[in-house]
Amino acid sequence: MQIFVNLITRAIFMSTPLVLGALGEVLAERTGMMVTAIEGIFLVGAWGGFIGAYLSGNLLIGFLLAMVCGLIVALLYGVTTIYMHQHQIVMGTAVAILVTGCCTFFYRVIFGIQTVPLKVSILKTIKIPLLSKIPIIGQAIFSQNLVTYFTYILVPIMFFVIYKTSLGLSMRSCGENPEAADAAGINVTRTRFLAVAIAGCLGGIAGAYYPLCNVGMYNAEIIGGRGWIAFGICFLGNWNPVGALIFGVIFGISDALGIFVRAMGTSSVPSELFSALPYILVIILTVCRKQFNVPAKLGANYVKED
Amino acid sequence: MNEPVIELKHITKRFAKVLANDDVSITIHKGEVVALLGENGAGKSTIMKILYGLYHATSGEIWIDGKERKIATPKEAMDAGISMIQQHFSLVPAHTVTENIILGNCKGKLDIKKKEKEIQALAEKYGFQVPAGEYVKNLSVGTQQKVEILKALYLNARVLIMDEPTAVLTPQEIDTLMEFVRRYVEQGNSVVFITHKMREVMAVSDTIVVMRNGSICGTVKKTDTSEAELAHMMIGRELETLEKPGTEDMSNRRVRLAVKDLSIKPKDHTPLLEDINFEIHEGEVLGFAGVSDNGQQELCEAIYGGIPITSGKIELDGEDVTNESVKDRIKLGMGYAAADRYRYGMVAEMSMSENMLLKSSYLNKWVNHGLIRWSALHRYTEDSIKQYAIKAPDHTVTAGSLSGGNQQKMVVAREVDMGDKLIIFDQPTRGLDLGAINYVHKTILGERDKGKAVLLVSTELSEIFALSDRIAVLYKGKIMGIFKNGELTTEKIGLLMAGVQPEKEGAES
Repeated sequence: MQIFVNLITRAIFMSTPLVLGALGEVLAERTGMMVTAIEGIFLVGAWGGFIGAYLSGNLLIGFLLAMVCGLIVALLYGVTTIYMHQHQIVMGTAVAILVTGCCTFFYRVIFGIQTVPLKVSILKTIKIPLLSKIPIIGQAIFSQNLVTYFTYILVPIMFFVIYKTSLGLSMRSCGENPEAADAAGINVTRTRFLAVAIAGCLGGIAGAYYPLCNVGMYNAEIIGGRGWIAFGICFLGNWNPVGALIFGVIFGISDALGIFVRAMGTSSVPSELFSALPYILVIILTVCRKQFNVPAKLGANYVKED
Repeated sequence: MNEPVIELKHITKRFAKVLANDDVSITIHKGEVVALLGENGAGKSTIMKILYGLYHATSGEIWIDGKERKIATPKEAMDAGISMIQQHFSLVPAHTVTENIILGNCKGKLDIKKKEKEIQALAEKYGFQVPAGEYVKNLSVGTQQKVEILKALYLNARVLIMDEPTAVLTPQEIDTLMEFVRRYVEQGNSVVFITHKMREVMAVSDTIVVMRNGSICGTVKKTDTSEAELAHMMIGRELETLEKPGTEDMSNRRVRLAVKDLSIKPKDHTPLLEDINFEIHEGEVLGFAGVSDNGQQELCEAIYGGIPITSGKIELDGEDVTNESVKDRIKLGMGYAAADRYRYGMVAEMSMSENMLLKSSYLNKWVNHGLIRWSALHRYTEDSIKQYAIKAPDHTVTAGSLSGGNQQKMVVAREVDMGDKLIIFDQPTRGLDLGAINYVHKTILGERDKGKAVLLVSTELSEIFALSDRIAVLYKGKIMGIFKNGELTTEKIGLLMAGVQPEKEGAES
């Protein structure tokens, strides 16, 4: 029983950055922007988060810097695609590759080549009074860190904004029929830019989660495709914040499973298989999904005539 | 006459090098229907898009209620009481009617239920049957247009611009629309009706503005003019009159195309085609009338071999071709000019010669041991350009650089040569102007006279009546009846197109 509770606790813990990144992606894709730079945003978030926290000794500064770094990368992506009308997928991939190089380079510029990895202390768990006493979910849900709480509160907020407010209606219209949105007096470019900027901030925090909440150190492989998984979760969750949460937890579970198997070290199944599980899941689930509710103009730039 | 609401003064609009509007001045009065008449590319839509804030004039002024106004965006136009229903609707298919109507006109938290009630009430006030909570993608085109109109009414528009509003409607729906227009202007509003159809102009307008090549070539009162005069103004020359299809009985002639019990019934979907039976004889045009998306495209593609059929049989010159591939059907002499020529008929980035080769690359016509015989192909293309009077400098220009009418001429030229036995024309004149329509019609009749069978699909009744020897009406994938040309009145065919079987009074065939 305790193993099961630990597993779920770990799953929620590991799902946090995936859900957070996917929420940003959902918002952006709803406006028609396929933020393919998300892997780069995650990485720059991890990098900025670690550097901020290490140099200042303050995790909050780490997260703030991560957010700013994520925002800058998102803006670079947004300016080139939204204002300069470059291809979204090509730009996103190019930005992600650029970020990979920059992070490694500037990490060495700042710290040199270290033989022993630099460490920061990770974000503490906060037990919510009373609620954390509830059996099972008390530990699984109410004994997590602040970022996890923030993420889970953000899910209903995001849902409300997308489906119940005029801002959400405008955003969805930009992704479905930007010409119609434009004709209705909505500034399509600004709306898309705003959504990409928010996705950048959330992605930055999500990336910083790995060094600052999980391992306490940074290396170039720290993200290792998890940005892409958040990207996939957005698809699998049908561009819906609640869907993103559900699939985020599923991936959290598989992530947690991998870690458990490795920790036990006795399994006859190689632990690498479990590490690969999230990636295999993306492929299987994407192929199996039948109904997609894709925003009609996802990935298509809006170029106004005249 | 009432006071003017909108005055467009000396508007000129230049797109890069093209002069789209040249010194255009139009006055719209209160309570008036202005028809903007002209061929494609005459600049009708452009001038109205300028008024609606979608385009910006290179020079000229817009005056509203006697004051000069700058209109930079559609939002500003709407604030001034101007709404425009564009040819391609500005609706979000994945959203509900209500969401579409309030888009851009709501703030903060949405009370969808309350808005839905408001909009339902507005629809009922104008006698529109529009379900406010339904998704737009589930509505018919005619209903979608009503949603567009409701959007304008919701914003209290007093000037409503409609760009080719009747192109997608049945005759009955057109009547409803005309009725709405009359009621709407009676309340002191104004309507601008962009069209190239003479009948509508004469039916609904007060003032007619005729445009040609970007400038105005006449502003007349309806009462002072005639259709003939308008046509002359619009085209600038006389059209060749076509000989009416004969009433000759063709049932004794050889059957070229026979379609027997053809059905296409996808799983989890209403049948696209159901028990289609017809024959086309040598030298006969069979016209398929119907509102678009009632199975016309599926029918054409099934005969051509583009989509699999569930059951039935297709025979060409007595030979069963039901299981033949598209390639083999082309070899056997089938030509097909698809409705969406841009998507299915040509490659815009390739040269005209390459496009002429498109469907015969695997025949020996232009290919010798796998090598293209370019010089012969170029000569053939040049001949086609001359023969069909295609406006193109030579065979090297890309198909995409031609105007829509000339692209269609190119496709028609190719298909006419490909189809030795049968040519399928799906909406052959959609989007073309009168001159090009005239030419395509002449070609179709010419090919018929050579003894080919012609299957013509059109949503334009005038075209069906002008070209067909017999007329079939398609409704929801079924043939409502096949009639000799002349047996049907517009009213009767309108009812058939809407799925209503009129009282049998000698209309059988």
